[in-house]
Amino acid sequence: MSGKAKPFLVSTTLAAALVSGVVHADVVIGVAGPFTGTYAAYGDQVWRGAQAAADAINKDGGVNGDKIRLVKGDDACDPKQAVAVANRLIESDKVVAVVGHFCSSSVIPTNEIYADAGVITISPAATNPKVTERGLPTVFRNCGRDDQQGIVAGDYIVDVLKAKRVVIIHDKDTYGQGLADATKIELNKKGVKEVLYEGLTRGEKDFNALVTKIRATDPEVVYFGGLHPEAGPLVRQLREQGVTAKFISGDGIVTDELVSAAGGAQYVNGVMMTFGADPRNNPAGKSVVEKFRANGYEPEGYTLYSYSSVQALAAAFNATKSTNGEKASAWLKSHPVPTAIGNKEWDKNGDLKVSDYVMYQWGPDGKYKQL
Amino acid sequence: MLTCLDPLAGRDKVRVSQLTDGTLIVDGIFLQQMVNGLTLGSVYGLIAIGYTMVYGIIGMINFAHGDVYMVSAYLAAIGLAVFSFFGVQSFPFLILGTLVFTIVVTGVYGLVIERVAYKPLRNSTRLAPLISAIGMSLILQNYVQISQGARQQGVPTLLEGSMRFSIGTGFVQLTYTKIFILIAAFIGMAILTWLIKCTKLGRMCRAVQQDRKMASILGINTDRVISYVFIIGAAMAALAGVLITMNYGTFDFYAGFIIGIKAFTAAVLGGIGSLPGAMFGGLILGVAESQFAGMVNSDYKDVFSFALLVLILILRPQGLLGRPLVTKV
Amino acid sequence: MSSITLNKALGNEAHRFKSYDIKKSLIETLVAGLLALIVFGPVVGVVLDGYSFNWQPARVAWMTAIVMAGRLALSLFLQTQTGQRLSHRFTHADSGVHVLKPDHRSRLLWIMPLVVLAALIFPAFADKYLITVVILGLIYVLLGLGLNIVVGLAGLLDLGYVGFYAIGAYGLALGYQYLGLGFWSVLPLAAIAAGFAGCLLGFPVLRLHGDYLAIVTLGFGEIIRLVLNNWLTFTGGPNGLPVPAPTFMGIEFGRQAKEGGTPIHQLLGMGYNPNLKFIFIYVVLFLVVLAVLYIKHRLTRMPIGRAWEALREDEIACRSMGLNHVLVKLSAFAIGASTAGLAGVFFASYQGFVNPTSFTFFESALILAIVVLGGMGSTVGVVIAAFVLTVAPEMLRSFAEYRVLLFGVLMVLMMMWRPRGLIRVSRTGVRPRKGVMAKVGGA
Repeated sequence: MSGKAKPFLVSTTLAAALVSGVVHADVVIGVAGPFTGTYAAYGDQVWRGAQAAADAINKDGGVNGDKIRLVKGDDACDPKQAVAVANRLIESDKVVAVVGHFCSSSVIPTNEIYADAGVITISPAATNPKVTERGLPTVFRNCGRDDQQGIVAGDYIVDVLKAKRVVIIHDKDTYGQGLADATKIELNKKGVKEVLYEGLTRGEKDFNALVTKIRATDPEVVYFGGLHPEAGPLVRQLREQGVTAKFISGDGIVTDELVSAAGGAQYVNGVMMTFGADPRNNPAGKSVVEKFRANGYEPEGYTLYSYSSVQALAAAFNATKSTNGEKASAWLKSHPVPTAIGNKEWDKNGDLKVSDYVMYQWGPDGKYKQL
Repeated sequence: MLTCLDPLAGRDKVRVSQLTDGTLIVDGIFLQQMVNGLTLGSVYGLIAIGYTMVYGIIGMINFAHGDVYMVSAYLAAIGLAVFSFFGVQSFPFLILGTLVFTIVVTGVYGLVIERVAYKPLRNSTRLAPLISAIGMSLILQNYVQISQGARQQGVPTLLEGSMRFSIGTGFVQLTYTKIFILIAAFIGMAILTWLIKCTKLGRMCRAVQQDRKMASILGINTDRVISYVFIIGAAMAALAGVLITMNYGTFDFYAGFIIGIKAFTAAVLGGIGSLPGAMFGGLILGVAESQFAGMVNSDYKDVFSFALLVLILILRPQGLLGRPLVTKV
Repeated sequence: MSSITLNKALGNEAHRFKSYDIKKSLIETLVAGLLALIVFGPVVGVVLDGYSFNWQPARVAWMTAIVMAGRLALSLFLQTQTGQRLSHRFTHADSGVHVLKPDHRSRLLWIMPLVVLAALIFPAFADKYLITVVILGLIYVLLGLGLNIVVGLAGLLDLGYVGFYAIGAYGLALGYQYLGLGFWSVLPLAAIAAGFAGCLLGFPVLRLHGDYLAIVTLGFGEIIRLVLNNWLTFTGGPNGLPVPAPTFMGIEFGRQAKEGGTPIHQLLGMGYNPNLKFIFIYVVLFLVVLAVLYIKHRLTRMPIGRAWEALREDEIACRSMGLNHVLVKLSAFAIGASTAGLAGVFFASYQGFVNPTSFTFFESALILAIVVLGGMGSTVGVVIAAFVLTVAPEMLRSFAEYRVLLFGVLMVLMMMWRPRGLIRVSRTGVRPRKGVMAKVGGA
């Protein structure tokens, strides 16, 4: 009896250990974005959204019975650091999915690395069209594309503002220049040729010479493709030198920090930007928004996009009963997912089937409202 | 040139810009760029003073000077925040308080840096103080980054409003802040010139600069004079820090590096070791850079500054106002 | 009698205690504390938050307390016998060269084969992370060796060394993008191109010395980086360029063969192993490093190496001895630069991606620190320092925030403690040959 009992005991303990190992293994999801540096405000938004979603999903039973565990990957919106972060997330943290990166210039090189390892990625904010146009099956985005944004901006400039003299400035980054180019194409299509097209360098503060050059063209609209650390000083210096043209930008300035970057609410008054329809107004996410506000945090910007990305990943993993990236990707491309910002559906490239961009305007109190 | 500055003269200096759609606009752009350049240049000059004085007295390039300027920018923001917290609202008191606070504390930073990183290496190899300075620069950057966070910081606009001069069909617009900067920089440089030329401290500095051994034989405490020079350089950088922070409204912990190199270019341009040279070089560099950015391409204006530095060091290393160096064998 | 000796003994004891000048130490401590308060108080204690601030007095108090305690301890220690001895040795740091026996056989002769053997076996049982760290370390060894020639041997302070590094890396990226060149064709081309750039840099700066040379080279390095950053259409600007993986006679290393060839894992019949690419890069890099080490070892003993060292010690004497300082300087720049070009090619293929942020001044400072810490002119020191400075940040990943701060502190402390580097340059003595004079003397 003992001779038979011993191997039986051993095998049951082993099996128990294996099963318990399987049961207690976490689903590790990486959240990659700028957590330090000038763009850290966005990383903050993405992290809070992802964390809230993970907590809510874990409370509901997790993914296939396992808990989600989030790991931060800080790339400071720099492609080189993004590549290092991607390698580390795959090798050391062994992630099965990544919400990120944030900046298009970080997403494009890292997608190759993630695809190579079979890890599914969904970016809450990278809007450059190239992200989903390289034939990588496990790449998704949970936001619109710059060519869509450019159309909305271009149409607004020509149809609503009826402007003839438009200046286009970009920050030479994949996102910034991509957005500026998309707007330029739409403007040209409608018969308006820009009077000045120039780039500025990210990280600089003194744009006075450029502003004087802009002033020389007597513009009606200044369109800027870039992020708020440059947009703020640019619009301030424009106003200081007496340029009264309308300042329009895109989803790179959707943060309260624009006000402090510009030196006060009086400079951002009247600034316009394109962004998705305010996710906080979506009825599907009402309870989520209220929970954020109860905790003292206003879920502005990309918070809810990040929240919905984690929801999409969890839904895909649950439906395919695994954490295999390729299977989850195939599932996402053929099934809609109800999230906190409405139903999301993806096409065969990983782009959202429906995405909306509308115009917002900043007021004299330093807050923005949908137009 | 004088006719341009007189708005009533009717004759305007026209600057014709070629635009992408072919239309030509006529206005006072050249003057506006000059104003931009002069504001930028006076700030370069203030920081260049620190470089030139230290080099003149101990023959060492203080690599960490740009980061001392960066620390002073943070101190200015801190001073502003604390003073407005305690209810000081009126502009003169606020700016005066911040200036005094920043200059004093930055002076202490200059002193401490000198004592800790440079004094022990005065008799060491040629390379040692330079590397120590690089190390100090890294320490300062990261010390501020860790203490204050890596994001960029902002200060509220203190002085609003601007003046506009019409020039023909165009105009030149100067914010009050820019005017304040020009005046403050001028006053700062004037005070420094008076200090060096007319006070005992200034005489001691000049003596140590000319011949350190002889000065110490004659009873001057060279160690203390060297410390004073560092403090003065840091104080000038502090003034620049306050002014620039007021002007742009934002800064981050990396702001010291590029402006340090540009200020060093200004010092070299004017003649390193020469105080009027630093101020003069700063103005020239600022104006040249702004005109280049306006006329050619604002992308490459940093390349232009560096190229200028390289050219000057190769063609005329003593700068515009300096004397040629003689090496004794 | 005994009471007198006892009194004397007691007097000596009392005298020894009196030699501690407590008052002076206390004053120094107070001054240090005051300075620390002024320095740390605002920046550490008042943390800006938008336009308002948060008060953090605890951190300031701790830091001031530590400074005061340290100063008190230092001040008291320096007054003891051992303290005085140490400070004396400190201010009179020895310089000069260590001379070995003429027949000295370096221990390296049998350490080297062991190291080579270990290095070749190592990839078999190391994970990808370790291999990547070692690859990075070897790249910095290569960079350190190159800069060692320029700064350590020839004494030309080059702060723009990273520019040549960038030329090598972008050479591979641009060559692939525009000319379709692969890893193997670019390797020699990059070395030549970088060497040529080194000559270009060396020519205008022939007349400059010391700090001026440093700043001009810094300017060159920054110009290269800025041009790469701004020339969007050609170099991709801040977004960078992708870099192809290396191929081995047409066999590729990726999961799917991009060029239409066969991936190596299919050829060898194993499952896809992402390590293979890195093992390949590692092996090639290791062989190249060995080659460069050997070349440099020989060069130091050849006339050109001696000329470099003569240039470093005293340029005017060097010229008056008849050495053509132009050739000597240019050769130092060129050879140093070509080594950096090689390192750049490896770095690009290791990362798979290049962008200008990898080639900032901080990299130059890092490589300079490797050379200085390792010992100017000492090859072994450079190798050790390169590994320490690359591996340590990986180990200290939890202290990632403080990494650069510690690095700066290390640089300052090293300069105070050992300005000539950890491992001093040593030369083997030369035994005079038995020549005519000896015969005459003996006869």
